[in-house]
Amino acid sequence: MHIRNMTFILATSILAAATMAAPARAQTVQLPAPPPVEKELAARASNVTEVTLGKNMLAFAAKFMNGKDKDDESTRQLIQGLDGIYVREYEFDKEGQFSAEEIEQLRKYFETSEWSPLVRERERKGGEATDVMVKLVNGEVHGMFILEVAPKELTIVLILGPVRMEDLGKLKGLGGLGALGDLEKSTKAKDKKGGAQ
Amino acid sequence: MEFEPMEEFEQQLREALERRPAPPSLKRKLMASRRAERPATPMPAWQRLAASVALAAVLGGAVTWRHVEERRKGEAAREQVLTALRITGHALDQINTQLAAHSRAPQE
Repeated sequence: MHIRNMTFILATSILAAATMAAPARAQTVQLPAPPPVEKELAARASNVTEVTLGKNMLAFAAKFMNGKDKDDESTRQLIQGLDGIYVREYEFDKEGQFSAEEIEQLRKYFETSEWSPLVRERERKGGEATDVMVKLVNGEVHGMFILEVAPKELTIVLILGPVRMEDLGKLKGLGGLGALGDLEKSTKAKDKKGGAQ
Repeated sequence: MEFEPMEEFEQQLREALERRPAPPSLKRKLMASRRAERPATPMPAWQRLAASVALAAVLGGAVTWRHVEERRKGEAAREQVLTALRITGHALDQINTQLAAHSRAPQE
């Protein structure tokens, strides 16, 4: 009887450990599949840049950033803990090559409840729009989404994993990133007034 | 008369076991078959050396090719990361400029 009890306890412990380990494994964030509208946009664009890098590929790329120059080292530090990078840049020959509905489809595809908007800007006249969203986990940025719409250009950036803004700022051409947080309030105020909407 | 069959048998046995000289061609045949069975003469030293060098070259080539290929893939991945960050940086720069312009606007 005693042995049977011990076996039961052991089996229960193993099952519990396995159950607890499953969510830990599931926490590894996967990059989403490309949205369906993307193909159509790419077909119309005159210049397309598509970059999709998963965790393994980022780790592999990091091996080849040997830190010979400062940017290399900063980039390596930045990408080391990331789960994935998904970037799309579409350049169009002329304006009106994409509709507001298509942009909305893109926005809805990536926008989920776990993302908090940081910047949201809409310009009615030119049809320009900017969305910056961050995924916060315990007060830390664990993802960044940028959707930038210009009359002849469309940019989607999705970075998954812990993003350190200070590391981003170290990279050339990325000056003033810290100002994003400071400007958040004023942008929201503008949105309420309807100036930028 | 009773023992006659036995004697006949013994006679047959004796004849069967009688020592007879081997036919003269037997030795030649045996030697020929032995030669045929003998393994080929070992490879000369220079041939062995050449084979070793060739094998080493093939293995070395394969290792080098793999290393070069991995390096090429790594460099491509690195370029992709830099492209992605360049686009991200460009987008963030534009956002910063826009936000800075908006924050300046009310003051003006």
